[in-house]
Formats: sequence, C-alpha cells, structure tokens
Amino acid sequence: MNLHTLIDSLISDTLQKSLPLFGPELVLCATIVVLLLARVLPLLDRIPPVVIAFVGAVAALIAAVPQEGLASFGGIQSQEIFTGMLVYDGLTAYFKLFLMAFAVLFVILSHLTGIADRDDGQDYFSLVFGATIGMCIMVSSNHLLTMFLGVEMASVPSYVLAGIVKGRRRSSEAALKYAVYGAGAAGVMLYGTSLLAGLLGSAHFPTMVGRLVEFDLPTRIADRELTVMVLALAGLMVGVGLAFKLSAVPFHFWCPDVFEGASAEVGGFLSVASKAAALALLVRVAIGMTYEHPTSDKLGSPPRDVAAIQQSHPELPVQFVAQQRSTDDESTSDPAAEEGPLDPVRSFVVTLIGIVSIVTCTFGNLAAYGQRNIKRMLAYSTIAHAGFMMMPVAAAVALVGMGKTAAASEAIAALMLYATIYLFMNLGAFAIIAFMRNSMQSEEIKDYSGLIGRSPLIAVAFTVILFSLVGLPPLAGFWPKLRVLQALFEANSPLLMFVMVAAAANTALSLVYYLRVAKTMCIDREADGTRPVALGFLQTAFVLAMALPVVLYGLDPERIARWTQQAASGLFQ
Amino acid sequence: MTSSLLANLLTEPPGVAHYMTVGAVMFVCGAMCMATKRNALGVLMGIELVLNGANLNFIAFGSKYLDNGGPQLGLDGSLIALFVIVLAAAEAAVALAIALNFYNNHDSIDVDRADQLQG
Repeated sequence: MNLHTLIDSLISDTLQKSLPLFGPELVLCATIVVLLLARVLPLLDRIPPVVIAFVGAVAALIAAVPQEGLASFGGIQSQEIFTGMLVYDGLTAYFKLFLMAFAVLFVILSHLTGIADRDDGQDYFSLVFGATIGMCIMVSSNHLLTMFLGVEMASVPSYVLAGIVKGRRRSSEAALKYAVYGAGAAGVMLYGTSLLAGLLGSAHFPTMVGRLVEFDLPTRIADRELTVMVLALAGLMVGVGLAFKLSAVPFHFWCPDVFEGASAEVGGFLSVASKAAALALLVRVAIGMTYEHPTSDKLGSPPRDVAAIQQSHPELPVQFVAQQRSTDDESTSDPAAEEGPLDPVRSFVVTLIGIVSIVTCTFGNLAAYGQRNIKRMLAYSTIAHAGFMMMPVAAAVALVGMGKTAAASEAIAALMLYATIYLFMNLGAFAIIAFMRNSMQSEEIKDYSGLIGRSPLIAVAFTVILFSLVGLPPLAGFWPKLRVLQALFEANSPLLMFVMVAAAANTALSLVYYLRVAKTMCIDREADGTRPVALGFLQTAFVLAMALPVVLYGLDPERIARWTQQAASGLFQ
Repeated sequence: MTSSLLANLLTEPPGVAHYMTVGAVMFVCGAMCMATKRNALGVLMGIELVLNGANLNFIAFGSKYLDNGGPQLGLDGSLIALFVIVLAAAEAAVALAIALNFYNNHDSIDVDRADQLQG
C-alpha cells in the first residue's frame, strides 16, 4: 500500500463514512462560527444571538435523529468512525439526541430567564455549544485520546460558564475553584491514561481489551508482579478524572460551591448534560475494558458462541440468543471453572464503582439535609442521583462477567432511562429557581414559604418535580429507580446486593429534605414583606412543559423504555 | 528491591524506564505544587507540570527507539502528546482569565481568599 492509496482510503473513510454520522457536532460547530462572526459582521449583528443559537440547536437536533426514525435505535450497526477514534452505535445515537434536545431546551430557558442578553449572548451560547460538542465526543469516545479530549472540551467552557456573571464575588470564586479542581483532576486522569496506554501498547479501547486478555492477569497476579500494581494505579487515576466529572465522593467538593456561585441556568446545564455525558463515558470505559467483542478471534472467549448461535439461527433476535446462551452456560459450566483473563478487571471495576456509588449516594443525601440555599441543596441532590446512576454500570459489568449480556444491556437501558427522566426533573427545578430568582431576588429556601398562595401553579409544579426526584410512584422518577434496583438484583453478588439495599435506604433518606422544601412552599405561612411573584406566560409554559412529562410518563412508559433498551443492546452486538 | 531498581536505572542505557522516572518525578512535583501553593498561579504551574509529566510518558511509550519489551504505542503516543500540548495551552488561557476575574473581585489571587462558598 503506497501513500496515495492510503490517503485515498482515509479521505473516503472521512467523507463518506464518518462525517455523515458526525452531523450534529458539525452543525453546532457552524453555529459557533456564525455566533462569533456576528460580532464582526454588522448584518449578522442585527439578529439577536438567541435566534441564531435556537436555529442552530434545532438543526442539530434534527441532524441527531437517526436516519430511519426515532424507533430505529436497535437497527443501528455499531461502527467505528474517524479511523477508530469514535464509535457510532445505539448508545451514541441516543445520547446525542438527548444532548441536542437538552441544548434546544436550554437555549429557550436562557432566553426566558434573560441570562443571555444581547451583549453577552454570543459568548454564552458559543460556550454552551462548545461544551455540548465535548459531551458528544465523550459519549462516542472509543480511544483514550478522544476520552480525554471530550472531558476537557466539556470542562473548559464549563469553567467559564460558572463565572459568566460579571462582577459577582461568589461567581468568580466558583469559577476559580471549578477551574483549579477540574484542571487538577484532568492532569491526574491524563497521567493514568499515559500509564494505561503504555502498559497495553494501545489507546484504542477494543485493542486494549484484547491486550488485557493477552496480558494474562490471573497468572501475573499469582506471581505478584509489580506491573499489575501499576495497571491498578492507572485505572484508579483514570477513575479520578471520571469521578470528578460525575461529582462522585471524594471528588465532589466543587459541586455545591459551583452550583451556589454560578447562576441557576448553568447549574441546570452542569447537573443534566454534564452528568449524562460523564455517565455515558463511564459506560464506555467500564464496558469497553471488560467486554470483548465477539468479532475478535480469541478462542474460548464467552461472547464468541453468541456469534456462533447467531450464525446458525440468523432469524433469532440478539437478546434471545444471549439469553439462551446464558441459560446454556448455567447448566453446563461447573462452579469451579477457571478464572477468565478479564475477571480481575471486572471485579476491580465492579468493586470500585459499587463502593463509590454507595458512598456518593449516601453522602449526597445526608449533606443535603442542612442546606438553606436551594441551589446548594439541589447540588447535593445531584451528587446523590449521580451515585444512583452509577450503580447500574457496576451491575452491567458484573452481568457481563457472568455472560448475561442481555441483562447487562437492560442495566444500561435503566441508566439511560434515568438520565432522560432526570433531564425533565432537574431542568424543571433549575428553571423554577431561575424564574424565582428573577422575580424575588432570592435563592434561600425560607423565601419560598407560602409560594402556593402567591403562585399556585409554580408551587404545584415544583412539588411534583420534588416528589418525582424522591422517586414516589406513579411519578416518572420512580420507574428508572425500580429498573436500577432490578438490575442490581439480577447481578446477584454480595456487594451488589448491599448496593441495592443501600440504594433503597437512600431513597427513603432523600424523602425528608425534598419534602421539607415542599412543606415550606405549600404549608408554611408566607413571611412578611415577601414580594409578589409574577411570571410571564412563556415562563409558566416552560415550567409546565418540564413538569407535565414527569406526571404523564406513566401513560406510555413502554415507549421510551423500549428506545433505551434498543439503544443499549447495540453495546453488546 | 528498590536499590536494585535504582542500580538498573543508573547502569543501563537510557530506556523507557528512565523517561518514566522523570515523568513520575514531574507528576509528583506538580501534585505537591497543586496541594501546597496558596497562589492560584502556583497551582496552575503545578497543573502544567502534571500534564507535561504525562506527556513525557506518552512520548517515551510512543518512541520506536525505546523498547519497553511489550506492545508498542507507536505514533499514537506522539500524537496524543501534541493534542495535550494544545489543550494545556487552552486550559491555561482560560484559567488565567478566570484568575484575573477573581483578582478583580477580590484584589488577590490567594486561593485561601476563596472562602465565601463553604464546600
């Protein structure tokens, strides 16, 4: 192969295969360029930035819809684009759609709260879209480089967003803390990445997992080799970076400070989009390092016989094949089976994620009790929910280890459903906080007292959202929690059983502080001298548009759940 | 065991291990710098050291002249290092702007002065 054919194949791969699947990001890039040029070109400067941003976000949302319509997540073939840097499969498609839908809603919210005025609008929306592109790269990363690039591209604009309100001491303090902690965590993560890439001789996830199999960990652990220690250390360091993005304990310090210091809109952005992207990246890394694709030609690796059965019965759906295989496994394998080459990695990942998720969830819920600032309380609630959403990842890795790929994809689907419903709950909550801040200049919980008398619709909507955050049936927040618990139960290991019990106990714990806010709003008397709350029609409509899906989700819960299941099954093709 | 490792480092011709040692020293210095400096600019310098320590690792692992006895990272290593250099510059620019903004509001860039928000 000479240079000419090499370049030809590279160009055709980029233009014909990769770029069409990279549409939403390209549209966002174009929008950023237009927004930045608007300052220079007088003709463009007359258009308000929010219009450009809205058109760009809607175009990106349309570009993010899979080619065969919304119901076709299951039909998306997993394929590597940009020479293996990114991967496009159901998970990527689903999360891109999620992020673009969030971008549209967020542009509307920013316009309604007036944070992005005519002077600042261009900068604000360029930063938001830049971070969104970074998150898209995070959810589709297939290489250590794109993993790190995605994390940084999502983080760096967020540092600026945290401090975008000029002249406020708290805001600048939040931005500085976020930037310093974030850059430190990124540095540690990069060092771990370098060790991992060096030891395994590759930075491409599927190649790395193949090398891990060849590495023959069980023998090396038995020989007490130092290399294993270095590998574990590298894994921990990469975990530090991911835990920072997830605001998992013990790397959560930034979260309450940033949420309190930054404006409520930015808080909503960080708690919904950033968390969802970080969770998708956690899925990519955790599943990528522990699941060997059936196409690899390792003899005796478990997923291979799925492919074999599929070849003999091409009419069977994948899930059924996988289930059939797992039942075969249970009947034939003897309990003292030899340890597989990836089992130490799996138990490492499961233990790490399991323990961190319990601690994160419990800490978030306990720390939320004493908060007087509503944004700070929601920051701790975000930490607790992030812990909850990490649990199905641990369950999925454990299930992959048992060869139950169908159940593992159910666990990932539970996480995706959780993230989707969380979008409505948290964006609604932060929208209400932003509107109330505009109208009564306060974010203290005590100033919400007697809201039911002043603005009954908002108080009811907020109460519904809070009940849904607790996870009370029949509201939407209950269903993904149930599925997460179910996935943990499926995994059936002592640690994950403990995680399940802790998760259920945490739901009860969280009841108290959410209900305290609801009680303040609906039962407490109005304090003297509070200002009347006047919300415009569009603001009220936005809040209702967020709160109604939370109530109405129960009418057709199967549809979204089915999308997530189809999208997640692409991981284990 | 430690002494034999050190002896190997000092007697053998330069290999991946030597570069990794320098990288590890840079990482630890950077981490110490981040943890102990009270000046925000000092903290940023520590971050720069950490990133460059990792970069040194990437270059050493990617070099075809240094054999680490295992599978080679190849050009990926150098490419990642290039990307990281650009990212570090972008991150430093943003962090300096944020530090300036903090200075305008607090008349100091002492990170201990950032105490209004209690984590």
